[in-house]
Amino acid sequence: MAKADPNQYVGLAARSKEGPRLVTGKGRYTDDFTEPGMLQAVFLRSPHAHARILGVDAQAALSRPDVFAVVTPEDIKRDTKPFRPGRYAAGLKKPIAEYAGAVDKVRYVGEPVGAVAARDRSTAEDVLESIAVDYEILPANTDVHKAMAGEDASLIYDELGANLAWQGTLEYGDTEKAFREADRVVREDLKIHRYSSTPLEPLACIASYDRFSRKLTVRTNTQVPENIYDALRDALRIDDIRVIIPDIGGGFGQKIHLIRKYVVIVALLAIKSGRPVKWIEDRNEHMMAAGHACEQHFDVEAAVKNDGTVDGLRFKEIDDVGGSISTLTIHFTNKLNNLSNTYKVQNIRADGYSVVTNRCPVIPNRGIGKPGMCYIWERIIDRVAQDLDMDPSEVRFKNLVQPEQMPYTTPNGNIYDSGDYPGLLKRALEKVDYPALKEEQAREREKGRYLGVGVVIGVEPGGRNAARDMAIFPEMKETPGSGGINGATIKLEKNGTIALYLGSPNCGQAHETTTAQVAAGILGVSPDVISTTTPFDSDVAPWGVAAANSGNNFHLYDIGSIIGAATQLREKVLKVAGHILDAEPADLEIADGVVTVPGFPRRKLTFAELGKAAYNNQSLLPEGIDAGLQTTFYYTFPHAQPNMVPGQDRRVRAQFTFGAGAHVAIVEVDPRTGKVEVLRYLIVGDNGTIINPGVVDGQIYGSAAHGIAVALGEGFVYDDEGQLLTITLTDYGKCSTAETPNVEVEHAPSPSKFTPLGQKAAGEGAAIPSPAAIASAVENALEPFGVKIRHLPLTPERVWQLIQEAQA
Amino acid sequence: MKQTVRVTVNGRLYEEEVEPRQLLSYFLRETIGLTGTHIGCIIGECGACTVQVNGTLVKSCLMFAVQANGKEVTTIEGLAEGDALHPVQEAFINNYGFQCGYCTPGMIMAADSLLKKNPNPSEEEIREGLAGNLCMCTGYVQIVAAVKEAAGQVDNG
Repeated sequence: MAKADPNQYVGLAARSKEGPRLVTGKGRYTDDFTEPGMLQAVFLRSPHAHARILGVDAQAALSRPDVFAVVTPEDIKRDTKPFRPGRYAAGLKKPIAEYAGAVDKVRYVGEPVGAVAARDRSTAEDVLESIAVDYEILPANTDVHKAMAGEDASLIYDELGANLAWQGTLEYGDTEKAFREADRVVREDLKIHRYSSTPLEPLACIASYDRFSRKLTVRTNTQVPENIYDALRDALRIDDIRVIIPDIGGGFGQKIHLIRKYVVIVALLAIKSGRPVKWIEDRNEHMMAAGHACEQHFDVEAAVKNDGTVDGLRFKEIDDVGGSISTLTIHFTNKLNNLSNTYKVQNIRADGYSVVTNRCPVIPNRGIGKPGMCYIWERIIDRVAQDLDMDPSEVRFKNLVQPEQMPYTTPNGNIYDSGDYPGLLKRALEKVDYPALKEEQAREREKGRYLGVGVVIGVEPGGRNAARDMAIFPEMKETPGSGGINGATIKLEKNGTIALYLGSPNCGQAHETTTAQVAAGILGVSPDVISTTTPFDSDVAPWGVAAANSGNNFHLYDIGSIIGAATQLREKVLKVAGHILDAEPADLEIADGVVTVPGFPRRKLTFAELGKAAYNNQSLLPEGIDAGLQTTFYYTFPHAQPNMVPGQDRRVRAQFTFGAGAHVAIVEVDPRTGKVEVLRYLIVGDNGTIINPGVVDGQIYGSAAHGIAVALGEGFVYDDEGQLLTITLTDYGKCSTAETPNVEVEHAPSPSKFTPLGQKAAGEGAAIPSPAAIASAVENALEPFGVKIRHLPLTPERVWQLIQEAQA
Repeated sequence: MKQTVRVTVNGRLYEEEVEPRQLLSYFLRETIGLTGTHIGCIIGECGACTVQVNGTLVKSCLMFAVQANGKEVTTIEGLAEGDALHPVQEAFINNYGFQCGYCTPGMIMAADSLLKKNPNPSEEEIREGLAGNLCMCTGYVQIVAAVKEAAGQVDNG
């Protein structure tokens, strides 16, 4: 291919770049690194859900010769500063100082109270037991409804005067009118429980500090370098910070937020001891204290016309945010990303209430509030269908945004770039032969076999806008940024190979493979000669606010910056080659890493020859051009306006691209045991132009499997005292190959109108509609019993109870 | 009191002084430096540390290093021969049977062990054979496909 063609290798299942190291045990994760003189740290954690810390005596620990440093609440208070409130705490009426560790109180089981650095981990663990903490135990608050009723057992933050820490409203259109003019109002109360994607690699960090140059280096498995960078600066008042992120053993959002606490305290241990310090979280610690997806309660009302049109949606959301104020609104705010899902409705009102409880703080987890928003929509649409005695798919078809309306602006300001939602739904119904399926269901019911079909649809937003939260907090003093910025560097080396350096880390999404495919087409080389350098290193990576293995950012910001950097490098290659070959750059062609002058087969230069000229031979370079063949490009989304920064109308582009998927779940429920078996799970998905189908399919399979497992029982369970009962993966209910259904995927892409390749996101995707699909299918199976599915999870015990209650 | 163990790992004999409480997983990672064996739970739930001991599948967090004395251990680093990947490794690459790669070494050791016992397993047998190894990323679809592809290619002699 002579012309720069970013599409040349797009759509191919190119051989994985990460594969060879990962399948041979040569992946390099944080725990695989050691440093000279390195110590091991362990954390002292609260055994209580709620208690005042009256005193900590660490003298015995400090006097041990093999202990190099101890951090107590007193040290935290003296040697660190609190974190800045951040975008999710901007709504607090009174500022609350949140430090990296507990200072006056503990607010959840497992909250870090102190830490020890010793020569080895076993010693550090032994020493923990010699630290005496004097606690005054306080009543635990675990019930959001009590807090809403003003019946707090005790105050978690005295400053707030109540455990209902925040409330706010978002309204778009005229919901009052929609409800006044509705033929009927359909209501439901819904709930999603606490869960997590439980990455297999726990949180990990190695910190070292050079006290003479005042440089702090941390190697950690965070998904977002900025969070660590800002946290270290804020807490330790150090400016020269280097964040290195090696291979990450799964993220899913779990390694974005609370990890900063641990990195700060491990860094403090390194500063105090003068030694590098490593900390590796254990599984129980992860389950207790690394963060959970939020328990969300929804009171939902839809304003409906008798033909099935939904004219308005109102919901009240109560979030159990756990024992921290730093992610107070994260699940509510994320509802802005898919507030109207795939539907035309113009009038939406959301009332958010965030309640602090004595449970683990909530954090981002695959889709954050979006699975909840999709659950609200898809459950209420099913309910509307039942109320009107219509088929649920008919109600959906009635309300879907139509392909000819694209690009489509939603009432809250999102702009859907492209999509054929009716087409996705139609294809999904065809694939399962819906009418035949309903007949089979009727036949089997006669025999006492309960099959259920759930058909749902959801958008998958991609590419985060940093200004989103200002829609809720227009008075926010310190803005969290806006739009998105991230970069990439490309270098043609002296041997003719190409080295890429990305601005963001990767935790299993094949960034190395995919970016090489795109760059190869532009540069006119095979992807085989391109390698991506890891680990991420903030000292050299071109990173910005969108440098996040989060927010479905990769397809937009990383691919955008690779295209920019590769295009600039190509231009430079042509300029230098044109000068050497005495030809116009525009006349040159590049194929297989060789620049040629068409019609003159002997006038050519290989990339290796060009590299040698560019780095070694000044006399060969054209005047007015920088030497070297390296380019760095920072990408910003060129279509970020309008609605990048919310105005008085609070309309904002929460994200910038919108994929979608129609999901069909076919289940069988055994009414004697309540056990649900997924017989078939099908997704017809629009992920825009697919760069690597093997990679994209993997993201869809994995996110669907997690959403299905969440719906069917995976989750965290607390007792009334705030003790976590599910501290192992088995108790938590993690699914193996034996319990996980096979997921089928068919692609029906509508390429994005806004991105260079038409690409959209594929990371969070199927985790968004899948809980709703399962709920819908189980309810459909149990229709003869009159069971309604409102609350997740659907454990066998819970399903069995629902059947008993319905029959009573 | 440290004890001496003689363990053959991937064909090489190691003679090391170890604490009696040291788990085999930490022996492999920290004492002899083979970090391909990963640790995800240390209580035998996740399978990230799966290795083969005298040809039997073992979660190395459930065994003390001293219990491996005199035994032969194969880890992920011992599967490929020279520059040639093992058929299961090759099949995992071909099928994108990994994402973050953290479960992958244990998963591949389990798949290899399954295929040695049952060269042509059904999908159900594959799913049963890998049920001791958790993956949080993939939903298992491409892992199962990889094992299907590798079936019949593993030397079970």
